[in-house]
Parts: sequence; C-alpha cells; structure tokens
Amino acid sequence: MRTNPRPVTRRSFLKGSLGAVGAFTIVPRHVLGGAGFTPPSESVGGALIGVGGRGPGTFNEMRELNPVKLAQCDVKWLDRADNKTLYTDFRRVLERKDIDVVAIGTPPHWHALISIAAMEAGKDVLSEKPMTRFIAEGRAVAEAEKRYGRIFQVGTFGRFGASRDRNHILTRKIMKSGLLKNCPAVHLHRGGFKVKEWSGLVNAKPQPVPKNLDWDLYVGPSPMKPYHPHRFGGTHRGYWDYEGGGLGDMGQHFLDPFTWIYGKDDTAPVEIEPHAPPAHHDACGMWGWVELKYADGLTLVLESGEWGERYNRKQSRGVTLNDLSEEDRRKVSEMPDPEPLRTFAEAVRTRKPAGGNAEAAHRTASLMHLANIAIRVGRRIRFDPVREVIVGDEEANRLVNQPMRAPWHL
Amino acid sequence: MATTKPDVGALVEQMPETDRELQSKQPPEPDKPDQPRRPRRLDSFGEASKFTGPDPKAAEKIFAEIVAGGRDSILELIGLARDPSDADFKNYKAGYVLHGVALYVGRSENDRQRRLFAETLASQLSSEKLSKAVKGFLIRELQVAGGKEVAETLGRHLQDDELCEYVVQALIAIREGAGVQLRRGLEGATGKNRVTIIQALGVVRDTESAGALQRALSASDSDVRIAAACALGNIGDSGSVVALIKAADEAKGWEGIQNTKACLVLAERLLAAGKKADANRIYTHLRDSRTEAGERYVREAAEKALSGDQ
Repeated sequence: MRTNPRPVTRRSFLKGSLGAVGAFTIVPRHVLGGAGFTPPSESVGGALIGVGGRGPGTFNEMRELNPVKLAQCDVKWLDRADNKTLYTDFRRVLERKDIDVVAIGTPPHWHALISIAAMEAGKDVLSEKPMTRFIAEGRAVAEAEKRYGRIFQVGTFGRFGASRDRNHILTRKIMKSGLLKNCPAVHLHRGGFKVKEWSGLVNAKPQPVPKNLDWDLYVGPSPMKPYHPHRFGGTHRGYWDYEGGGLGDMGQHFLDPFTWIYGKDDTAPVEIEPHAPPAHHDACGMWGWVELKYADGLTLVLESGEWGERYNRKQSRGVTLNDLSEEDRRKVSEMPDPEPLRTFAEAVRTRKPAGGNAEAAHRTASLMHLANIAIRVGRRIRFDPVREVIVGDEEANRLVNQPMRAPWHL
Repeated sequence: MATTKPDVGALVEQMPETDRELQSKQPPEPDKPDQPRRPRRLDSFGEASKFTGPDPKAAEKIFAEIVAGGRDSILELIGLARDPSDADFKNYKAGYVLHGVALYVGRSENDRQRRLFAETLASQLSSEKLSKAVKGFLIRELQVAGGKEVAETLGRHLQDDELCEYVVQALIAIREGAGVQLRRGLEGATGKNRVTIIQALGVVRDTESAGALQRALSASDSDVRIAAACALGNIGDSGSVVALIKAADEAKGWEGIQNTKACLVLAERLLAAGKKADANRIYTHLRDSRTEAGERYVREAAEKALSGDQ
C-alpha cells in the first residue's frame, strides 16, 4: 500500500515543529475552522469509520494534523459499541461537533456516501481508495466538496511523487499546453491487478450472519444479498455490489500518477474497448485488457496478464518535445512549472484543494469504472466526459449511476 | 421470430466449470497422489468457487441461439435458473447465461429482442414455481435490460416486502414510466417500502408527487421524513421552499444535516431552472439562521452561493 509522499512521523513532526517555532504546537482547531472561529479545544478531533484492513493506516495518513481519535466506527461491533467512543452507525459519529476530520476505511461501496455525509456535517475527509464504486458517486463527492467548502483527499498518493519528477512535469506541460493536437502517447499498465485473487464466488450458499455484524448496515446502499463470509472482510472486492474486482482495488493506485502526468484531472476517455469473457452478474471475474482512448488521441491500456490474448494493437510510448514544432517547444519551455500538490494536512490548514482532491480522484476512479463497465457489458462503449454519460448504450449507461437501497442516497 | 427451438439445457451446460471443479479434475500432485488439487485460498469458504469465463465468441453464439428460440427458449432458461439459496441449486450456469442474454439483447440494434426478453422475464414474476430469490434475480436482470414495457408489471410487485427494493431499483433504472408506478405504490406502502418508494420518487424527479412528499415531511418515522426532504430537494419544485426550510430548521442531528442538504440541493435546482429569487430565499435564510460555530460551514456555503461563486 502506498503512503503519503511526505511521510511525517510523529517524531519528525515534533522535531520539525520544535525546530521551527521552538515549542511543540498542536494544530489549533480554529485554524481548521478559519479566522474568527473560537475553538472549543486546542486539538483536532478525528474519527475513523471502518477500522478493518486499511482503516488504521488511512487514519495515520492524517498524522501531520495530530488528530485525537475520538471515535471509531465499524459495523462488526454490535457486541461492543458504546456510542461514546465505539460505534456501529457512522451517522452518530458525524453528528458529533467535536470531530473535525474523518478517515474512511470501509469497503468502497460506502466511501462516497460517508465522504459526502461527513462533508455535509462540516468535516474534512481522507478516504481510502478506490474513491467510489461507480461514476455518479464521484461526481456527487466533488459536488459536496464544492458545496460545503470541505477538504477531500483520496488515500493514494502516487501523483505526489510523479509531480516532483522532471520528466513527468515536462509531459504534463506538453499535454496542458494544448499544442499537441493529436497525442501519440500510449500508456500501458500490465499486471498487478490481482484479477483472479479478487474474483467472487458464483455458487456460495447463504450463511447465518455473525452475531456481532450489522449486515443490513454493511450492505448499505448496495442490493441486499444474503450473507456469506466471502462478501465481507477483504474478499468483498470480488463482488460488483461492493467494489470492482482487482481493477477496482488496484486501479486508483496505478492510475493516480497517470491522470496527473497527462493532465487528465478534469476529463475522461471517450472510447473504451474491452477484451474479456462475458461478465457474471454478481461476481467480478476475469478480463484480459481494456483500451481507453481520450479525445486528443492519448491511449491508456490496462492489461491483466491473467486472461486471454495479450494486447498487441499499439506500442507503449510517451510524449516528448520532439512531438512538437520548434516554436511550440519554445512555448512549452517558457511555461511555469505546475504548483506543488498540497498534502491533506496542508489543504486542511490552507483551505485549498488537496493534491488528490475530489475532482481529480473522481476522474482517476472513472477510468476503472469505465473499464469495468466495458468489461461488464462486453462491448465497446463511448463516453461523454462533460455530461458523464455513456452514449448510445442504455445498458452500459445504467451502470454509471446505479440506484441505491434506501435510505441511502447520494 | 422463433424458428428452431434449441436445447437450452445443453447450451447452458456448455459454460465452463468453476476453478475448483477444473482443479479437482487435474491429476493429483506427485507428492499427494490420493488428493485432487484444490485452490488453497478458498478453503475457508467451503465448496464455493470462482467462474473461469467462456470464450466470448462461443458464449455469444449460445446467447444468440437462445434468443433465436424466442419466448419458449427464454422461458426454459428461466426455468433452469436457481439461486444458490434454493435447495435444488445445481450450478451457476443458467443464471450466468440468462445475464449473458440480457446483455446480448441490450445491444442497441436489438430492441425487438430486448423487449421480448424483458416481457418474458416480467411475465414470470407472478409464477408460483419460482422462488423469491429467483424472482429477485429476474427483477435485477430487468434492471439491466428492461424498458418501459415492463414498468407496469414491475409496479404490481411494489407491495411485496421481499421484492420491493429490487422493483424500485429496476424502475429507477428504467426511468420511463417509473413515476406513475411509484406514485401508485406509495399509496399503500408502509415501513421500509414507503421510505424506498419516497426516495425513488426523488431520484426520478417526479414533480407530481411533490404534494404527497410534503405531507410526508411530518411523518412519525424519521427515515420517511428524511427521504421526503431529500426527494423534494432533488425534484426542485419552488412550492417546496417553505416546507423544506421549516423541516431543516426543526430537525436536529443527522436529520437536521440531511434536511439542510436538501435545502441546498433545492436551491441549486432552482438556480439551474432560472428561479434565482426562490434559490436566494433559501440561501439567505441559511446565511442568517446558521449562526452557531458548528454551523459556520453551512453559513459559508450559503454566502458563497449568494455571491454567485457556485
């Protein structure tokens, strides 16, 4: 699992703070609330929702803010929740006024809804990847971030390292310059998707729900299905109801640098073609490769290496100054470098968007979702990146914005 | 359109076996001659296993043959489908093929086939031979491939406690013709079904239900009240401004947060519809009334909207 590009251990944070101001300083709450805010305390109240798996690690990504963990929440705590520090229902956590920042480590079918609900309650959010389960969720998170002026950062940080690499900065400048009319770049990511590992079971008989688990709350916005242990606790990744297989699990890691380097934080591919067997209705399964093309010609290829024939349509290549005329090369060389990306803590302090903000994270997550939609319908699809709808394929378009089980809604 | 009736059962059985089944047929490992190979990671999940995926072209040929067999072949396929919870569940194959056919007929050039498929599925929702689990599966496939032609049939099952959620989700996906069915369904709905239908009326933005939803704002069940507020916000009707502001002002905790959101969403809908005065009424109220420190972010959101920085 990748971590924050500027890892600041508690020890180094303290050392840095001492070096800077001569005394240890906890980030005051009024800094988070903005000027004129009277802090009820001098600490940042934190909550972790979804404590299994990556949960503690996600909370730890907020360590630069020195948050005090006031509440933890998990649907498997029916036997120990006290509704004071331990909860099963995240709504009770978000009602608390003393919580400023929320880390989300639940399975992905809850990421968007809890992110949105937290921002509606005035909290800043660091959510584990993948940001969402389907495309419309990402748009709703971005709208909530904007509506409430909150900070959102997705829990993957590959773009931070990429943004400090001179070659990647040059690529971004070339792409952002608009001078490259027909982009020849082909970015191929092969392997590492754990496709078979994160496939679902197709003949699992329902089992009794464990006494400590609130299954209804676990299922949440997804279609209600009977309990089976494979649908829970990591292997949930193998079901469309909760994630999107290995592509959903690993895609945001692999593609987070890609969208920054190629300047695609505000758009999406227009044509997506899969090579995969017909998908199962419930369980994520095998796929070979998916080719995603942007309107400017940029091609992204995701290849599992676990099924079918290898991708052989195009060779991998980047963009260089040689793809431009001499005059255009000069224009690019005169462009300023992009602004450094803000960490979650910097974003919280300055109230400016984090490097992995909702819009950027949404566009990265959309790549996995579009690839998965093409895999699920088994045919080429066309996407409108502005309206965020699939064009000319009603079945595929229904997967862009999937109905949610009440009372959960975007 | 049907000319030749294929052997649907035989076609279904052409689908590949699961990974566990395939591995169990492999020769024993040299050092364990008496034990078949098994995938180790699945041991804690009993005999359940993963599907391996057929050749796409071969699978499509099978889907095409079944569709060419017309309604009778689709009915036969439905008759083979079982849920893993059914006592006579045999394997995943019939359900998988049925989903494959749903995708096959959903290709844009196949609308006649798609309608036939959807109507055939819908016709079986009242069958006494199928379990509720299988009916739920059929409704989820109608969510994939169904159109307005099945909306009314689906609407008849809105009062079924076990099927209501699936029916509503299918109607939302179908969209066309959903509003009238949901409105009818709301009349007799209670408990969770009522919440589900109210929420759906908001999702499909059914303006004709605004009156009923406003009345639901004073229901005794907080889930009903929240769903109604959310739906009214999403529908974006000017006539809901006063009722939603009142609901947001009176509610506390989670309900207050959700109702405030409904106000902001309503204001955004009104702005988008060119009804700036109605939108500003909401923003002005939130700006002036959210004076507590913990509500500062709401006040700021309203101020930002009033300044035109949306």
